[in-house]
Amino acid sequence: MTEYLQLKGITKRYGATLAVDNLDLTIPKGRIYGMIGPNGAGKTTTIRMIMDIIAPDSGKILLDGKPTDDNFKNVVGYLPEERGLYKKMTLREVILYLGQLKQKPRKEIDARLDSWLKRMDLLEYKNRKVEQLSKGMQQKLQFITTLIHDPEIIILDELFSGLDPLNIELIKNVLLELKHEGRTILFSTHVMEQAEKLCDFICMIHRGRKVLDGALNDVKGKYGRNSVHLEIDGDGSFLDSLPGVKAVTRFTNYFELTLDDLSRSNDVLQAISSRVTVLRFERVTPSLYNIFITVAGGDKPDPAGEEVARG
Amino acid sequence: MGKFWTIVGSEYAQVVKKKSFLVGIILTPVFLLLVTILPALFAQRGISTPEQYAVIDADGRGIGERFAQSLTRYMLDDDSTTQAYKLARIYSIPGGDARRIDSLRVVLDSAIVSKDLKYYVVIYPGIEYSDSALMVSKSINFRSGTRFDRRLSDILAEIRLESSNINLPVDSVLGMTRRIELIQASPGGKTKAFESVYFGALVFVMIIFFSVVSFGQILMRSVIEEKNSRIMEVLVSSVSPFQLMMGKIVGLGAANLTQIGIWVAVGLVIFSARGSLEVPTEVSGILFNPVLIGFFVLFLVIAYVMYSTLFAFVGSICTTDKETQNFVFPITMSLMLPIILLMYIVQEPDSTVSVVLSLIPVLAPTMMVARLNIASPETFTFGNPVIMEAVIAAVLATLFTLFLIWITARIFRIGILMYGKRPTLPEILKWVRYK
Repeated sequence: MTEYLQLKGITKRYGATLAVDNLDLTIPKGRIYGMIGPNGAGKTTTIRMIMDIIAPDSGKILLDGKPTDDNFKNVVGYLPEERGLYKKMTLREVILYLGQLKQKPRKEIDARLDSWLKRMDLLEYKNRKVEQLSKGMQQKLQFITTLIHDPEIIILDELFSGLDPLNIELIKNVLLELKHEGRTILFSTHVMEQAEKLCDFICMIHRGRKVLDGALNDVKGKYGRNSVHLEIDGDGSFLDSLPGVKAVTRFTNYFELTLDDLSRSNDVLQAISSRVTVLRFERVTPSLYNIFITVAGGDKPDPAGEEVARG
Repeated sequence: MGKFWTIVGSEYAQVVKKKSFLVGIILTPVFLLLVTILPALFAQRGISTPEQYAVIDADGRGIGERFAQSLTRYMLDDDSTTQAYKLARIYSIPGGDARRIDSLRVVLDSAIVSKDLKYYVVIYPGIEYSDSALMVSKSINFRSGTRFDRRLSDILAEIRLESSNINLPVDSVLGMTRRIELIQASPGGKTKAFESVYFGALVFVMIIFFSVVSFGQILMRSVIEEKNSRIMEVLVSSVSPFQLMMGKIVGLGAANLTQIGIWVAVGLVIFSARGSLEVPTEVSGILFNPVLIGFFVLFLVIAYVMYSTLFAFVGSICTTDKETQNFVFPITMSLMLPIILLMYIVQEPDSTVSVVLSLIPVLAPTMMVARLNIASPETFTFGNPVIMEAVIAAVLATLFTLFLIWITARIFRIGILMYGKRPTLPEILKWVRYK
């Protein structure tokens, strides 16, 4: 693992609130790195400090071992959580303007513009005003403006927030492609289910502190294999009191059961199948969500990633 | 630097491409004319009691008598049987002894100060060559000034005609004659061409006022729009907030100068198309006075940068147009103050109050331009107190503007990422100290 972007002892305080507390991160080159944690954990503050939008109270941010400088802004593509565009400008104007602000020549951006618009299915709107686009289209346009200058590092804050499912798929594919081209991608999300499907490395942040980080597989391996994915046809309310089941986590379409003893999983399966029809029963590594619950110690965010009170 | 100019270009293009820019080019001069001429028309209030005047006639051809006779046609506004002007006396000084004129003027000046006399007119020898006469009164009076001017011009035309043996009806040539220039003066005070004093100062002050307020507000709105549309965070991930702020100020300043440039160009075309015959010397005296124009441009730029920075400050701490109103009012007022005080400044351009006001940085640009306009210095010499004061005012205003830019930049970088509740003053002061 080659160190690329490094955060060392980053701390940021807002009045009495400690937003980020002595945070160390190491983001390897050419990988997708997910920063996960509930809302208010300090993810956006951390990203803003990386982007030099706000200054840390203490700590260092290094790129290839050197403190980030002005040129850093030119090699980063940044999609903030709060997203917006100039409504009165045409798509082409917006892309040209934001691209030029990354110190790319106008011609170069203009040459690349059409293929991006085509890929995002926006080519016919090239000379229309932004306000004429639907919300989903504007999201795709924002994504283009993030990538138009061919950045080395792509930083996406709350990547999935506000995106519709079709766009999530489209953007995931682009991100995987960029990874294969050797780009480094850092994103934050409070939707752990999504992060799990995309990233190679993760870092869990809780109340401004790092509670866990590493390669996704290592993290999962470390937390054992006593989890089971369960899909049933019927009501699963009885699962909580089932012998041999330590905990039940309800996801949108399935349950994740944490068993007392994985060697006795057959007993559990039999007990369930005697009550309802089992569609799927699979031994898996625990979800990031359940790992998070374990490491964060009882502070339960909503597994589907719904809004949790900001702290 | 490249990014900075990208912002400048984009801000410039965004404004210039808008229809409102074109509308502003057309409507602002119209509005300017309205606000400069309308008050002057209102200022021509009626004469309700007869006004005493005297004439010093140093010409010796009876112009004084003819002038007094011609004024008898004017009646009181609310009583058409009583004459509006009452002749106190005609002082005839044949040969035009300058010392006698001066000593007489001292006496008449004191009569004006004590309100025994409203006006006196001095007709110097050779009036048909100088084409000018002097009118002294306590304050500038447009209505009587215009009447006196017209009557004297007509008398002069008649005299010319009589001396030239051409047998034509007098009325047919009157329209073709030159108007004489009635120079209006305060008692003992400096003389100054009548119409240009007030209007010249007002037009200059108004141009500063309009461009600063309109472009300052455009800047403020664009900051608020970028905050509200949440594009601000994308922008400051590419450029520094300082670059963004200065790029906006410079880009909109360029658009502002474009607008003024178009006015000047159109004005010059109209000016030259009309021919030199009708151009009053007061107007050409301002347009072709490099000292005056130089200072005007300098103070316009200072005023623009200073107030744009203030508007950027307001934009960065507010989220809605409504919130900005509390701040825009005092800003606009400090620009309006010189316009309200202009009548006073025109009459007392060198009083302590005028000097002090024109040195206060936020008032300096408009106040100083008004005072310079009245003084109309011909050359740039430090010996001239007005020029000295103008230079000091410019330096002070520039230093103040630099300070304002520094402090606004510190607030701007934080304010632009704050949505929702407007910060309190202690919070804003805390931002200034942030790293």
